[in-house]
Amino acid sequence: MSDYTIVGKRMPRVDSRAKVMGKALFTADLKLPGMLVGKIKRSPYAHARILNIDTSKAEALPGVKSVVTGKDTKGVKWGVFAYTRDQQFIQIEKVRYIGDEVAGVAAIDEETALKALDLIDVEYEELPPVFDPMEAMTSQTELIHEDFANNINVHVNIDTGNVDENFEKAQYIREDTFVAPEESYFQAEPYAIVARFDHEDCLEIWCPNGGPHMKSKPLSNAFKIPLHKVKVRKIAIGGAFGGRSEICPVDYICSLLAKKTKKPVKIQFTREENTIATRQGHAMLTTHKTGVDKDGRVLARETTCYMDGGAYSSTGPIATSVPFLSMEQAYRMGSVRYNGYRIYTNKPIRGMIRTHGRGFACGLDTQLDMIADHLGIDPVEIRLRNSRQPGEYTSTKSYVDSCAMDETIHKAVEKSGFKKKWGKLPPFHGIGIGTNSVQTGFPMGIRGGSQSFIKFNEDGEATVMSGVVDNGQGNDNMLVQIAAEELGLLPEDIHLVSADTETTSSDPGSYSQVSTFVGGHAVKIAAQNCRAKLFEVASKILKVSPDKLAAENRLIFVKDDPEKSIPIKKVVRISLLNFNSVNAEGGYWPRVDMKREWVKNPYGQMCEAFSFGTTIVEVKVDPDTGQVEVLEATAAQDVGYAINPLVLEGQFEGALTMGGQGGMLTEYHEWKDGRCLNPTMLDYKLPLACDMPPKINNIIVESVDPKGPYGAKEAGMSIAMSAAQGYSAAVSNAIGVYMDSFPLTPDKILAAIKEKKAQEN
Amino acid sequence: MRLPRFEYLRPETLGQALSLLAVHKDDAKILAGGTDLLVRMKKGLLKPKALISLKALNELSYIKKEDACIKIGAGASLADIIASDIIQKEAKALFQACGKVGAITLQHYTGTIGGNILQDNRCHHYNQSGLHRSGRQACHKDGGKICYARDEADRCNSTCQSDGATALMALGAGITLARKGGERTIDLADFYTTDGIMPFAIESHELLKEIIIPVQGAKSAYTRLAYRSAIDYPIVCAGVLLKPSDTQKDKIDEARIVVGAIARSPLFLVRESSSLKGKNLNDTDAFKKAADSSMNSASTFAVHNVGSTLKYRCDMVSEMVFQALKKSARAALPTKE
Repeated sequence: MSDYTIVGKRMPRVDSRAKVMGKALFTADLKLPGMLVGKIKRSPYAHARILNIDTSKAEALPGVKSVVTGKDTKGVKWGVFAYTRDQQFIQIEKVRYIGDEVAGVAAIDEETALKALDLIDVEYEELPPVFDPMEAMTSQTELIHEDFANNINVHVNIDTGNVDENFEKAQYIREDTFVAPEESYFQAEPYAIVARFDHEDCLEIWCPNGGPHMKSKPLSNAFKIPLHKVKVRKIAIGGAFGGRSEICPVDYICSLLAKKTKKPVKIQFTREENTIATRQGHAMLTTHKTGVDKDGRVLARETTCYMDGGAYSSTGPIATSVPFLSMEQAYRMGSVRYNGYRIYTNKPIRGMIRTHGRGFACGLDTQLDMIADHLGIDPVEIRLRNSRQPGEYTSTKSYVDSCAMDETIHKAVEKSGFKKKWGKLPPFHGIGIGTNSVQTGFPMGIRGGSQSFIKFNEDGEATVMSGVVDNGQGNDNMLVQIAAEELGLLPEDIHLVSADTETTSSDPGSYSQVSTFVGGHAVKIAAQNCRAKLFEVASKILKVSPDKLAAENRLIFVKDDPEKSIPIKKVVRISLLNFNSVNAEGGYWPRVDMKREWVKNPYGQMCEAFSFGTTIVEVKVDPDTGQVEVLEATAAQDVGYAINPLVLEGQFEGALTMGGQGGMLTEYHEWKDGRCLNPTMLDYKLPLACDMPPKINNIIVESVDPKGPYGAKEAGMSIAMSAAQGYSAAVSNAIGVYMDSFPLTPDKILAAIKEKKAQEN
Repeated sequence: MRLPRFEYLRPETLGQALSLLAVHKDDAKILAGGTDLLVRMKKGLLKPKALISLKALNELSYIKKEDACIKIGAGASLADIIASDIIQKEAKALFQACGKVGAITLQHYTGTIGGNILQDNRCHHYNQSGLHRSGRQACHKDGGKICYARDEADRCNSTCQSDGATALMALGAGITLARKGGERTIDLADFYTTDGIMPFAIESHELLKEIIIPVQGAKSAYTRLAYRSAIDYPIVCAGVLLKPSDTQKDKIDEARIVVGAIARSPLFLVRESSSLKGKNLNDTDAFKKAADSSMNSASTFAVHNVGSTLKYRCDMVSEMVFQALKKSARAALPTKE
């Protein structure tokens, strides 16, 4: 790929300097004239009927400008899909988890707002809560949502046929159950939002988000104002990890308070609110039954997964599907039957998370290792015998074009020395491998595509407009790199206007790993169109046909005779003087099967590309304490094409931190009667930099996807997903016990070691 | 999270600080580094009318050796203690414990040894926001009559997670508490009540002034377990001290075993400690026995209230004590010339 001058090169991100110097402004830093402080009154009960809300004392408190309750929402309900609209923005009849919104307050300062919350009298009638999903399905107590029998929110059923017949043909069958509790995102930036209605009754908001257009549409619906009147603005974002895509009640409440007071209102979440009142990862109980032939090839698989969905639907149908989809992409299966159930409980709402399905994937991979063990083949071999190959269809009928799964396995195996170490390491020293695959996009209907506009300024610099949002992964830099490459400019010549719903066109958001593939692609096409216009003008000056021209380093030159050139700035000025436009647009829509639907029709082309990743981890376990020391982690991913290897390596390392070190060793929530016992950074055990393995090997594999921009596709997520599998396999290998309860905390590891010792004696 | 309103007082001498305490008594809290106090105030667990800041008080920041004792001013920063040659040589357990508190930045800029000893007991049912604590009965420490950590407990079972206190108790340290017009010195082991609501036997007009560690030719060690390598409280820890006999250098004359992060206060285990008297410094069987017995003794006090699992934390008492004994014995054994 040496043809490119800017794309494919290691380049520090355009946004890094401002962030490391503390100059980047986040939502909580915003101060607007006359701005009020908003706070939310939350339910202290896990399940209760609201009998009465008396706000009179709060309203009478000097400094309080507005108090809103469910009466002000006109009963509008929110849900990602029409069939999952189950959440009112402010509850009026019933509360369903500790933290559910019952009122909002705007006041002149935080102290007054907090005082006002205490003055709101809510009369409740407590209802029996249910916290365990398995119990929730059979509970005789009042349903959490009356329209959903047995508290089952979503049921996804996928069946390729021939499952039972293939089990009959299998040489060896195993059935195992795996469990994992909830996890949280812990974005560095707690959620915050500023909202105001301007003099034209336009709603303007600033907040961390996974896609500004995913926020503007539901707000336009809720306030019954046209889409152009909802202006979601760009602001520096401190992380999303899948958790900030949908609209949340706080977005509505803050906007409503701004509307009522005619003043800007800011609501800033505490760390606890960010943990319990946004989204969390689902707890899961997964049973995999797998039948293989004598060589370990999977003939049939039946998976049943119960997910604790918490109080509301959120992205339920997607969340119920994705853990299965990742594994059906990663591995070939002769036939498969999947039943996923998302169950309501009186706990915080669960949504999508970067590491969604750790228990599911680790279970499947652990079972594969058990099968390999039984058949006397090694973990690498059994993966290679079942790994996804290019040109195949997944079980749910998605065509897989580019695929270098095997190359990621081979390269990771070689770099980590797996073959030399497997079976030969001293006691309590282990090595393990995990593989996974992630979608580059979902069918998103009308919001599936992205469009970009580019305008040249008379000084030869360009402004690029794109709906793509950067919430930490480096999207801004990606767009700048692509635009500079195509326009023949330097990155500093590009001014990016992005993630603003007033100035940019609809875009799917960073949600579903699609920013580069769709949004970056749109910028690439727009830039090419813009360049074509300049070439048209330049060709007349340089007296060669446009197809003989190239652009690089602020110059347009003749490919065969680079001495013959003209500065881009000059071409722009000549164009304008000769009545030629120097603006252009471009758009990209992935060709997915629009009839594919999560529940009703889970078959058809899911997205145009899939990424594939392998993580190999080497650990030492202290047999006296059960504590794990990670010696080395090797991450290899097929990213299609690396637009910026530097950013990508950061993504890999972050993925190992969140998916492996935290996701598999320390991160989980503890509960008491629906109360989260560890909602803060002190008590929720996120790993620190000093906890990370001393040696991390990043391996970028490039399959060059035929549809992706420069061949790029999703990058980083297949490591986040496979990291947990690699970590769990390594620990299991070290202690000689296949673990079935995640994360692998020292107490579980020590208990497994002791049990094994007892059995041996 | 917002600090409630309070009056901020900033005495410049110990005398001024003690006078202020004598006036404000229960209405005031001492603000040293604030790493424990301010977090609790933000959660609404504490609403003192006044904070007496020790920021301007320089006279309590010393570390010195005097009359066969190490004397540490309560205001000494954790970083100064870690950097002190005297502490490293003669109070190793304290050096090891302070190095585990919070993170390096916290040890440098805010954390003091006095604050570390006086950090309030913790419990994952109590150290929570107002929202978390509403909609249910208040627990003992929160002014109620119920314990969420142990069914039917008649008192608060919050856990003392101070690294420093566990190490200091193993070192046989004493503390001096000053008040206007006088002071008293007591053994650290006698400083604790049996109730987690107010775990320290300190009067509201008293100020922790000095820590006194006897130097007795002994070797000490501190071990702890946590989930993370920094910014984490211990889920179990142990401090031990082994003093070799003056006449037989490889024999133990006196041992002190202290277990922390498992009960309302660090537990000085008298029986287990005395079981090692007269034992050889390389008698690992005796260490193992003392460690297992420590686990049994300490477990009766333990409740599930600081993360991990109760069983794991109790099991690890034995391991932490055993490791600490081995470490200090290694240091105490006469080197072969």
